[in-house]
Amino acid sequence: MPRDGASSGPTVRAGGLWQVFGANATVALPDEVALGGSSADIAGRLLEKGLNPAVRGVSFDVAPGELFVIMGLSGSGKSTLVRCISRLVEPTAGSVEIEGEDILAASKARMTELRRSRMGMVFQHFGLFPHMTVLDNVAFPLKVGGMARRARHEKVMPIIEMVGLDGRERAYPRELSGGQRQRVGIARSLAGDCTVWFLDEPFSALDPLIRRQLQDEFLEIRTRLNTTIVFITHDIAEALKLADRIAIMRDGEIVQIGTPTEIVLRPVDGYVSQFSRDVARGRHAKVGSIMRTEGEMGECGGPGLRADMTLETALASCMSLYDPVPVLDDDGAVIGMVHPADLASSLQVEES
Amino acid sequence: MIPGRSPAVPAALAALLAGALCLTLESVAPWLARFPANWTLPATDWAGTFLEWLLLGLKPAARWFSWLLGYPMLWANAALGQTPWPLMIGTATAIGWYLGGLPMAALGLGGLGFVLLSGYWVESMNTLALVAVSVPLALAVGGVIGVAANEFPRIKSSVQAALDVMQTVPTFAYLTPLLLLFGFGPVVGMIASAIYAAPPMARNVILGLERVDPEVREAAVMSGGTRIQQLLLVEIPSAARQIMVGVNQCLMAALSMVIIAAVIGGFNDIGWEVLLTMRKAQFGLALMAGLVIVVFAIVIDRMSAALAHERRRGDPRVAYGIVALSVLVVLVFQARLPDPSTLTFLDPAAERVDRALGEFTANNGEALNQFRNGAMFYVLLPLRIGLDEAALPFTWGFQWTATMSAGLFAAAAVAGACLALSGRAVSGLLLVIGSGIIETGIANLPWPFVLVATFSLAWVASGRRLAILCVALLATVLVSGLWERALLSLYLSGAAVFACAVVGGAIGLLCAVAPSIWRVVRLVCDMLQTIPLFVFLIPVLMFFQIGEFSAFLAICAYAIVPMIRYTRHGLVMTPPELLEAAVASGATPWQIMRDVRAPYAAPTVLLGLNQTILYAFAMLVIAALIGTTGLGQSIYLALGSADVGLGVSAGAAMAILALICDRLVQAFAEGRRTALGL
Ligand SMILES: Nc1ncnc2c1ncn2[C@@H]1O[C@H](COP(=O)(O)OP(=O)(O)OP(=O)(O)O)[C@@H](O)[C@H]1O
Ligand SMILES: [Mg+2]
Repeated sequence: MPRDGASSGPTVRAGGLWQVFGANATVALPDEVALGGSSADIAGRLLEKGLNPAVRGVSFDVAPGELFVIMGLSGSGKSTLVRCISRLVEPTAGSVEIEGEDILAASKARMTELRRSRMGMVFQHFGLFPHMTVLDNVAFPLKVGGMARRARHEKVMPIIEMVGLDGRERAYPRELSGGQRQRVGIARSLAGDCTVWFLDEPFSALDPLIRRQLQDEFLEIRTRLNTTIVFITHDIAEALKLADRIAIMRDGEIVQIGTPTEIVLRPVDGYVSQFSRDVARGRHAKVGSIMRTEGEMGECGGPGLRADMTLETALASCMSLYDPVPVLDDDGAVIGMVHPADLASSLQVEES
Repeated sequence: MIPGRSPAVPAALAALLAGALCLTLESVAPWLARFPANWTLPATDWAGTFLEWLLLGLKPAARWFSWLLGYPMLWANAALGQTPWPLMIGTATAIGWYLGGLPMAALGLGGLGFVLLSGYWVESMNTLALVAVSVPLALAVGGVIGVAANEFPRIKSSVQAALDVMQTVPTFAYLTPLLLLFGFGPVVGMIASAIYAAPPMARNVILGLERVDPEVREAAVMSGGTRIQQLLLVEIPSAARQIMVGVNQCLMAALSMVIIAAVIGGFNDIGWEVLLTMRKAQFGLALMAGLVIVVFAIVIDRMSAALAHERRRGDPRVAYGIVALSVLVVLVFQARLPDPSTLTFLDPAAERVDRALGEFTANNGEALNQFRNGAMFYVLLPLRIGLDEAALPFTWGFQWTATMSAGLFAAAAVAGACLALSGRAVSGLLLVIGSGIIETGIANLPWPFVLVATFSLAWVASGRRLAILCVALLATVLVSGLWERALLSLYLSGAAVFACAVVGGAIGLLCAVAPSIWRVVRLVCDMLQTIPLFVFLIPVLMFFQIGEFSAFLAICAYAIVPMIRYTRHGLVMTPPELLEAAVASGATPWQIMRDVRAPYAAPTVLLGLNQTILYAFAMLVIAALIGTTGLGQSIYLALGSADVGLGVSAGAAMAILALICDRLVQAFAEGRRTALGL
């Protein structure tokens, strides 16, 4: 559900992005690309040369206001990809545009400028400055931007309140719990009013309970801001819970991009379906995704399914039915039919 | 390792063959035993000519620099010398309070109080003035080098290599060229100590910056900091602790060097006082001056170490209060404050020590002499010149004969063969080689044997590259005509390292099994590591007079510490689950020690050995003051005669020896580490 119109272009656009680690990668990559073949072939030849292609010809767009989740196993290149986009590492090949601006061509000064005003980033292990208080940590982007002390402190106080750390602003990072530290990380990344927000496994280092709490708070914060978000995780449940769209990475390549429902119900291959294997599909997929809109429409009534109901809820309400059940919109009009058989089969966990 | 597959057997065999060949052909080809003098190059002279030319060119700039540095020195001297002593003591106490609360304040008060009572106040303040000027210089230079190495990865490895080499160049070797450049005077000592103290700072800055959490660094980038802002606001403050460790090491190095530089003379500082009293055999006074140095070292060390600890600081108001109080004392008692140089409270004590010492040596002189001669005749001399020359009627009561040599070799060969048959071929070969070395003496080892043995050792340790490097370095020493002196140095430091390894290893083992012993030993180790090199000479000189044995003891006392520390540390850090697994398998404590803890500790122990070797080389040069032969002596003599060529080439030879030992041991340690999968 990307917000804002799609009238303007994508906020983040990555095209043919390669990141190859190793000596002389910048020379070796074009040579191999010139030899042709799929990106997997090229990567194979690079590996033979002892280089490490961590990101292999990745392209995607992130629409304004979208929450784009990149997910994959450990070592699949997620962090490297997001570091390329934020230009923390210099991509070996490809292009990155942020709000239409080619940031790989940007000068150092321009990059600094962009980071102060456009980008925010949250790190897996928080990356807090150990020698600064919470307040100074959060205000740091403003400090380097040259804002006066009092002004920047005034400006970040609401952000600190928003992440629920008011009262702790004089504490040092070592005095905080893990959850609190990541709140500081989140607050700091928001201090500069970013329009693109990168989060690299922000909740992975936290306990499950705290993680869920922070996820909820994150969604809450997100409704208040209008930023575009690139969110990295290796946790499918987190991805499904948060994402507008998910990109699944394997060995440096994106194997599928789609909405959570698409990922769950129509995985392109075994690798993707393995991710969703353990998730209860019924809790994530919506009735709309299996509804048939062609053919014969039934009468209004029945158990009153809605398109945005999860499959689980739908199943509970038509347990004993064998005939197609109508799906209604807000006004009670029939917009499609669901066959209980479809419902049941899509809930079946894939075997393999 | 699978025997037969490992390179150790052929390597040991090669060394043995080389040694045997040299021994048998000695009579036909004397050039095998002694490197012919006309094969050497006058490298020392060349180095001298070149350096003198170079230094002459640099001289005007150096003189100008020295003149420039004269001012801050003068100021520091005036400031420290003119400040009334109650204020100095009060300030030290206040700083101590701020840094570490009551214990540190007591240390400051007690330490400086002792200095005052000792009557060496003026000399101490002069020394402190030297440190006060050289340390900021060293911190600045070291800091800049460290940051530069961090900023430009391209130069980093060469900077680190240079720092490594600087660590191995002996302290006295710095002094000769500096003397030529800057002329006699305290400025030389100051510059030498700045040069000597800068590397630890640079090292720690590099280390600290390297260890900044990558996410913290990236967070600074993503916050939009410019490079300067990232460095100054985030990276350096994050590395502050490590940098403070550097400051601590820098201070200690500077103090140590300032005191060593006293041998140049010309400045009324505390190091000079030690030298003077030592030369006059006034050991009571020398000991007291030495104690003053130790007190300074401890105060400076503990206070600057407190900087690196993130500890709660004392209340600054109390600190100001202490300073204010001391100002008050000065104002009230102004006229009645005694002149510190007239204070002689402790002189009677010193005299008593002197007298007691005199009596002691008079009464026990025989026993001491016997002890010394025993060690010399039965251990050190045979090691140095071999059994064939050391066993004389005068020393051993009989003359060593060719038959005895043959018997020794035969016994060694039989024992070696037995070992080889029981599957320990390398040990067997080493035993035979060892008997050959004892028979010949380290100082008389044939040079082809040394080269082949080094090559083999390096080959086994790491491979061809290291082997070639080591031999090439040794060959430069050989052709430069410093070979015999190098062997002499090798012998004395080798003997000391061996003693340290055995005794230190045993103590370390003991400390590992008995924590209560460690508590005591640890204090002693801390103490020994804080004492500037120079001070070690006083007690050994008191009991054993000038000579090789005293030097040997001084070296051991200084170099044993790392061996103890690393051995214990290696042994106690065995992962608990390994120990539990061993216990569960039914191993006895002794078996656990031998089969689990010791192998696991091996790499750490080797690193300790490495440190011990480097410490021994460092002390060897200082020990030249009390009579050693070899490179150390040459360096010291060169200092006296301002012979840059000799000083620098002997220093370089010394550095080469240290470097080779360092690389070899490191390579072995690395090998053990990879074998353990660490
Ligand atoms: N600075 C670097 N230098 C060399 N190789 C790197 C570097 N950073 C990452 N890599 C390599 O790139 C590959 C992808 O790493 P990356 O950190 O992007 O994975 P990830 O998907 O983020 O994994 P995780 O979930 O563990 O964070 C790995 O093989 C890694 O070894
Ligand atoms: Mg990652």
